[in-house]
Amino acid sequence: MTALDVRELVSEAAAHYRDRPHAVVMLRECLERLEEPLRVGFVGTPGTGKSTLVSALAEWPTRALRDLELFDTPAPAEHVDATVRLVRHLEPDELAGARPVGGSAFARQSAVNSVLVLGRADEVGAGRIDALLTAKQLARRAWREDPNCAGFQGVIAVAGQLGYAGRALRDDEFAVLRALASVSRQELERHLLSVDSFVDDPFPVGVPPESRKHLVSRFGLYGVRLAITLIRTGCDSRLKLSAELVHRSGLGDLRDTLAGCFVARGEALKARTAVLRLESLLAAEPVPHGDRLAARVERFAAAAHDFRELRLIADIRGGRTALSGEIAEEAARLLGAQGLAPTERLGLAPDADPAEIHAGAESALVRWRHEAERADAAHAERAAARVIVRSVEGLLSLFVG
Amino acid sequence: MTAPAWLDVLNETLDACAAHGRADLAERLRRRRDQQAPGTRIAVVGFPKQGKGYLLNALLNAPVCAVGDASTPAVPTEIGYAPDAAATLVGHARESVPVADLAKELEIRPPGSLRRVEVGLPRELLGTGLVLVDTPAIGDPRSPRTAATLDVLADAHAVILVSDATQELQPAELALARHIRTWCPALVLALTKIDVSPDWRELAARNRTALSETGVVADVFPVSATVRQAAAKAGDAGLNGRSGFPELLNWVGEQASRPIERTRALAAAVSVRAAAVELVESLQTRLDAVSQDSGIDQVTLLQQAQRRTEELRRQNVRWQNLLSDEITDLVSDAEYDLRERTRQIVRHIDRTFDEGDPVQIWPDFQTWLEENLAEAVETNYNWVSDRSTWIAHAVATSFGPRFGQAPELPLTGSGVDSIPEVGTPKIERFKIGQKLFTGLRGSYGGVLMFGLVTSLAGLPLINPVSLGAGVAFATKSVRDEGGMRLQRRQALAKAAAQRHVDDVFIRFSKEIKDEIRQVQRRLRDHFAALSDELAEELTRQRELIIAGSADRDRRTQRVKKEIDRLAALHRKAGALGVTAREIRELSA
Repeated sequence: MTALDVRELVSEAAAHYRDRPHAVVMLRECLERLEEPLRVGFVGTPGTGKSTLVSALAEWPTRALRDLELFDTPAPAEHVDATVRLVRHLEPDELAGARPVGGSAFARQSAVNSVLVLGRADEVGAGRIDALLTAKQLARRAWREDPNCAGFQGVIAVAGQLGYAGRALRDDEFAVLRALASVSRQELERHLLSVDSFVDDPFPVGVPPESRKHLVSRFGLYGVRLAITLIRTGCDSRLKLSAELVHRSGLGDLRDTLAGCFVARGEALKARTAVLRLESLLAAEPVPHGDRLAARVERFAAAAHDFRELRLIADIRGGRTALSGEIAEEAARLLGAQGLAPTERLGLAPDADPAEIHAGAESALVRWRHEAERADAAHAERAAARVIVRSVEGLLSLFVG
Repeated sequence: MTAPAWLDVLNETLDACAAHGRADLAERLRRRRDQQAPGTRIAVVGFPKQGKGYLLNALLNAPVCAVGDASTPAVPTEIGYAPDAAATLVGHARESVPVADLAKELEIRPPGSLRRVEVGLPRELLGTGLVLVDTPAIGDPRSPRTAATLDVLADAHAVILVSDATQELQPAELALARHIRTWCPALVLALTKIDVSPDWRELAARNRTALSETGVVADVFPVSATVRQAAAKAGDAGLNGRSGFPELLNWVGEQASRPIERTRALAAAVSVRAAAVELVESLQTRLDAVSQDSGIDQVTLLQQAQRRTEELRRQNVRWQNLLSDEITDLVSDAEYDLRERTRQIVRHIDRTFDEGDPVQIWPDFQTWLEENLAEAVETNYNWVSDRSTWIAHAVATSFGPRFGQAPELPLTGSGVDSIPEVGTPKIERFKIGQKLFTGLRGSYGGVLMFGLVTSLAGLPLINPVSLGAGVAFATKSVRDEGGMRLQRRQALAKAAAQRHVDDVFIRFSKEIKDEIRQVQRRLRDHFAALSDELAEELTRQRELIIAGSADRDRRTQRVKKEIDRLAALHRKAGALGVTAREIRELSA
């Protein structure tokens, strides 16, 4: 079932509901939404850094996030297609509160639309220089081990403030940072001990207290420390430093996840939102022949391969399958984790010719069919392999006709 | 050594808590009483990831507590003085581990296998017997970790609440502070991580305001463990001063230097006050409920009962009058009805036998009469039965809807079966012989009379004229005789039928009167019993209300007295606390 079918389904529903104006308005809005960019809502308790993250992502002139609209106000669930959920700590209590809640069978089956973000990763480990690495490890571990994280398409540690400041790094800021980096490590160390000592104490180089204050308010003390270390280890231009800060802040990971899980599957997720809204309308205000529409909703859920692919990618990445190492990477790639184009799925060069693509797909098909039929494999493994087979068959179907 | 003054107050409060079913409060007080620790216990508590471990390690200048990025200790760690550093895991058994391996050891223990960890450190700060207790992070109110921490608070003499400078105090943290301050004589807020927070000064001010708005007396100490560590490494006293730790250590030292007896007295005083307040609150709630109860019930219930008794009395008169009136009416109506019905029958009998010859119509008439009499009696019976039921309902209704249940009133029988058969009257028939004889007698007279008259005219005695007259006379005699006999028969049949109807009337008018009287008796008995029952119930209710009110008054009195006693204990505890403080201040 494609987005086209969903359009048809919603239009037909509108015909059934033509004597109820509010329902028609709602369904028409669903149809319009299908043409609009994907809407991503950022939710989380105050102080988790929602606004910072939204600003950092929204002002990013990147192709990957072009078809995205970001909301940092807590919009009702039906107004967003996907969710980024922020928490301050990966504590069990907080995670239990962040777990996506169920809904209809279809909503649960296709719940592949949220990502968990550890919002202030630079606060992990009391601001040690390896804080972000530790935070990333924690996030990875939580995703693999904490059952509360199983429902997310990813658990990503992000230092929003650092990423934002790094992405919008200005020349004057870079100049100040470079001046600071020129001071010997030993001498600078005690000035970087706390915000107070960084701002108030007399400095060995001529950086006025206001600039220091500005710097620490933009980057945080951790960010200043990291930036100086990076300049010392080779990031000697503003662009290089900016790129490295963004990379380290985890903002890049978040962008890639949003691009891979949300933007690439935008059509499917938007269709999902429309179908969910249709489903709740059918439940709330039954109409004659509504059961036929409901049956088609069910069929949509059963046929939407995108959701199965996304869920399986999350399971593979989250370490919840028996697949590991190279074969896990191949599986994720075939499922479209690195892009939905046939060449991307098959790991071929972008300009590979059709014969090559066909051959690659066929050999993948043989391999995964074998996996799907292995008698000694667990049921879950074979089910996973079947999903991959279906994806590869989809590739081959492009050659038919 | 004499028992300290606070012990009595505490014991008394403890008894009161136990007596009023507050085992939880009693348990807290018992722990205060039985505490034998030689030194002051200071608990360090806070929500996850606020920097408790860093704070403790910085306080002690030793890496005692696990400062995990992910894991936090699930059991309390008690840190006291020992000449050589040592750590003991206390579970079912005690197990010594090197202090340096403590964090690693804790990580591999299965959850729930340990109760606490005891650490000994050769630190001057701990020399006075001071024990610092690191607690599991507070989180979900139902989690065992939270319970373990709250448990530690029952033994603590002072508490350091840890909250970091990246966020203002949350409502849950303020509630925790309030709870701690109620049960512990001393509380401070350690505002950690001020090294990474550019605006910790504003934040500290906001937290101070929030605490005082919550009604919590607590100092705020902004600290940075990172700066303290750096200062220690560099031996930089100035830097150490900027870490904020000297002030916090001062406060800790102050707590530790107070003689333990005073500290315990202070803690006991606060605990007694907290327990007394909680207990009084729960008693007051109960008292309010009771007085609200009595406000509605006591007087009103009695008045209601009184009203209902009077109502019942009026009701008794009403229903008795109603019953007797209705029954009298019914008797006369029933008799009249039966009479009216029988009179119609009698009228019909008269009409029938005025014209008909009983000889011919009697069998048919007998059937008709029996049927009509039976119908009349049955109708009358049914009518009486209906009226009786109606009367029963009318009387029952006068008792109100709750008792509107009339008794069953089966009449003993419709009576139809016992109607006697109609006796056939003796009816003479005018037979041929009699007719012949009568005719002969008439003809003989006629022949003789006309023969004598015609003999005067010279005719023989028997001549055609006298013979003709004889025939005429014979015919007339027979006819006259026949008419007379018919009339007699009719009179006879009428009399018989009327007598029968009269019999039936007399018999059944008596029977129906008896039935009605029985109905009356039955209704009277039923409703009299019901009335008695109601009266009895009311009496019982009144007695209950009066007894309950007395009981409640007694109870209320008791609770009030108890509250007064607890208030006195509260005051006494307050006085003790003040003494303990004053002595401290004098000695300080």
